[in-house]
Amino acid sequence: MSAEYIEEQLSYLLPIYYKRLFPSLPFYRWLSYGKSTNFSKREISFTLIGDIYLRFQSFDTHADFVNELCKRFPIKIDIGCVYQTKPRDKNMLTALIPVFKEVVFDIDMTDYDEIRTCCSGADVCNKCWKFMAIASKIIDATLREDFGFKHILWVFSGRRGIHAWVCDESARTLDDNVRSAIVEYMYVIKGGLGTSKKVNLVGNVHHSLKRALSIIDKYFIQSILKDQDILGTQERLDCFLNMVDEEVREIFRGNMRKLETSEQRWHSFEKTFADLQSKGQLSRGGRNMIEEMKLYYAYPRLDVNVSKALNHLLKAPFCVHPKTGKICIPFNVKNVDNFDLNNVPTLNQLMEQIDLYDKKTKEQDNMTMETDESTLNKFKIKDYKKTSLLGPVNIFMEFLRGLESKSEKRKMENADLNF
Amino acid sequence: MDTNARRRRIHTAVVSTDAGIYNHDLSLYSDFPKNPLGLPEFEELALERLQLLRIIENAALKGHKMYSDDWRNCIKEDLVKNNLKKYVRLMNGANGQGGADFQARRADHLSHYILRLAYCRSEDLRRWFLSREMEWFKIKFMAQTSAGVMQFLNINSLKYMPISNDIKDDIKSELMDSTPGLSHAVLSTIDIYKVPFTDVLPLIKSRRTYLKEGYAFIPMSDLVVCIQSKFRATLSESLNQINHRLSNVDDDRLNDLLCNLHNTYTGKEYIENPNKDAVDIGDLNDYSKKHFPLCMRHLHEVLRANHHLRHSGRLIYGLFLKSIGVLYEQFIEFWRQEFTKIMDNNKFDKDYLYNFNHQFGKVGKMVSYAPYSCIKIIMGNVGPGEAHGCPFKHWDVSYLKTKLNEYGGTQESIQEVINLVTNGHYQIACTKYFECAHGQPPVNSINHPNQYFEESMTLIKGRNKDK
Repeated sequence: MSAEYIEEQLSYLLPIYYKRLFPSLPFYRWLSYGKSTNFSKREISFTLIGDIYLRFQSFDTHADFVNELCKRFPIKIDIGCVYQTKPRDKNMLTALIPVFKEVVFDIDMTDYDEIRTCCSGADVCNKCWKFMAIASKIIDATLREDFGFKHILWVFSGRRGIHAWVCDESARTLDDNVRSAIVEYMYVIKGGLGTSKKVNLVGNVHHSLKRALSIIDKYFIQSILKDQDILGTQERLDCFLNMVDEEVREIFRGNMRKLETSEQRWHSFEKTFADLQSKGQLSRGGRNMIEEMKLYYAYPRLDVNVSKALNHLLKAPFCVHPKTGKICIPFNVKNVDNFDLNNVPTLNQLMEQIDLYDKKTKEQDNMTMETDESTLNKFKIKDYKKTSLLGPVNIFMEFLRGLESKSEKRKMENADLNF
Repeated sequence: MDTNARRRRIHTAVVSTDAGIYNHDLSLYSDFPKNPLGLPEFEELALERLQLLRIIENAALKGHKMYSDDWRNCIKEDLVKNNLKKYVRLMNGANGQGGADFQARRADHLSHYILRLAYCRSEDLRRWFLSREMEWFKIKFMAQTSAGVMQFLNINSLKYMPISNDIKDDIKSELMDSTPGLSHAVLSTIDIYKVPFTDVLPLIKSRRTYLKEGYAFIPMSDLVVCIQSKFRATLSESLNQINHRLSNVDDDRLNDLLCNLHNTYTGKEYIENPNKDAVDIGDLNDYSKKHFPLCMRHLHEVLRANHHLRHSGRLIYGLFLKSIGVLYEQFIEFWRQEFTKIMDNNKFDKDYLYNFNHQFGKVGKMVSYAPYSCIKIIMGNVGPGEAHGCPFKHWDVSYLKTKLNEYGGTQESIQEVINLVTNGHYQIACTKYFECAHGQPPVNSINHPNQYFEESMTLIKGRNKDK
């Protein structure tokens, strides 16, 4: 695919995207949760070209929503929370009272800048993307196994991060206190510019961190030691050793400095640790040093403020990132290792794919001279199915089916009660 | 209002119909007081409880680790000093059945309800009151024996069923990994309770419990967390309800008392610039060296070096600057000058300007926010890449030493500060730092960055006058 993305084209590509490709109906079904007022009282904000930011929008029906999308073609859609009244009717006299919102998580690659060595800032490559793979697996497992949540939608944020939407009914109604507690449960790397050792484990390692470590172990040698080369230079080694207890630091330095690669140095670290431990030369606080290091270099680094408050907005799935042109596509955590940043469809690619498909079909039709009936069928094919948006939309539909099968069941239970 | 003034003791016999609810030292205060109460006693009870709650708060500010023996003893001593022995009586876990015990519980009960009236009036007041009441409850709870706890659970119809031994065996290793202090030997002798995770948020936050599919598995000693959270929820709801209905209290005598009471608690908020002299942004480098506490000096220097601060840093430093007297136009100019060294004006306007206007109350909710106090900074989280936080709490000792050296402290004074830090006395360390920097201690010990600044300014101005 050669189509290059140019920001200036947004104004005429976006209307086509919203009209032909944006999966507005599943999107509407998702945010309705089986009840149309859930959608009409939801804050949906638009950012228009020229960075015009419209907050407190809300839409009564699916048709209204699609019409506005096509009319205003926002470069960004943010989802806020469901209020007691329609946010659109907000005025100076009435306060909006929040009712519910999904529990959301935001992980941004910039928070990894102190440990990633391949890129920095807004850049991201498949090497540092591994941080996101690890993060999504750990958070997903924690949410499911520890908290018992089942309906979690993972979305690529369009450039350098990922979002999670926890949509279980029991999650949506949680208050800010509970949200904070959930995030802090996963807040392991603590401390700012004045702190070198940012992970401190006292006593036994908590079961959730043990599980995280078993996930990290699958990546540690290849992605962290080899690809990120975290111990490859003098500077990186010093940074690493600053986290080691002063009393034993020089012993580690002596052993590790003799070796060349990150992998060799790490193994020397593990070996020295085992030696010191068997000789009883480690303090109580040094007992979990290996685990602490692994967590420091690979545990998820959350943007905690996004998750803590009920009324925080988050970018919607299937938006187009205005800088990269990439679509914010849902992905399946189980297959996150196969997620390739270069294969995320861009707006231009999608447009080309539709054209290509239509052209091919036309050619085939001309060649085979099909009957009128089958030609008609061909025309009914939805546009997204002609493009690489098909996979992501299917993931979204699968998520939706899971969500709806449950709400269907509850509806029936309620009906029984009424009976 | 001087709450320390000598007061005439007022004794009212416990009305016989009340006795039934005063059998146990622990109370969730679920019974609404029904008997008439005279105005003088109403006032006395209110002031006494206010003192009790302040004494609890101050014990932590003095640097004692919360719920430690030192902390408890400090509270007991202060209570005795302030003629509040009856509250000490409730701290010993004896659940005595004498007349004085009933008197103490009655005072505890009534005064709690009176303060509900005074402390329901704003979000900040409610939060302060809730925290103190939770602490007071835990103080009493910790003194109880397990028989006492059982009795309390029965009285309040709180039912917690332990899990079976089979289930306990299945999750044994997870329990021991995830519950601090739970050894093999202990585990075999105690019951484990299964409760919804939303009932034990403090344990979730600090990862101190085994959590599976939305349920926490806790030993009896952690049941207090559950009970506290239920207590907190009902109390919080009740405060909100009272607040909605309070306009119906149409008695000036009561209103005056209740409103004044709440004004006496917080200490200064530093929202308005008190010294009236505008601070010129050109002087900030100089001021940061002479008059800023270490936390703000650090933020200032990081900002000058990186031309950027992360969100919390911007907020904390911004509010501080606003309250020392940087005027709005200069305030925006200051941030713009720094940030535009690494970005263009456009990006600054788009991504940051709103944020700074918001701090000044020019947009959004239109509220001029109060700057952060020491406690708020100390209790806050600091993440990678962030420069805010209390240097005495959040920094490595070695980094702190380097910085203090760099700023020209003497070896002796630096060691004094470090000793305080390692014992967890962060605010006293900051007070010491003030003393080292100014050659004399501040009038009051430091509890607010803006207080540090004010004290420093007053001191220097005084000296200049003397010259």
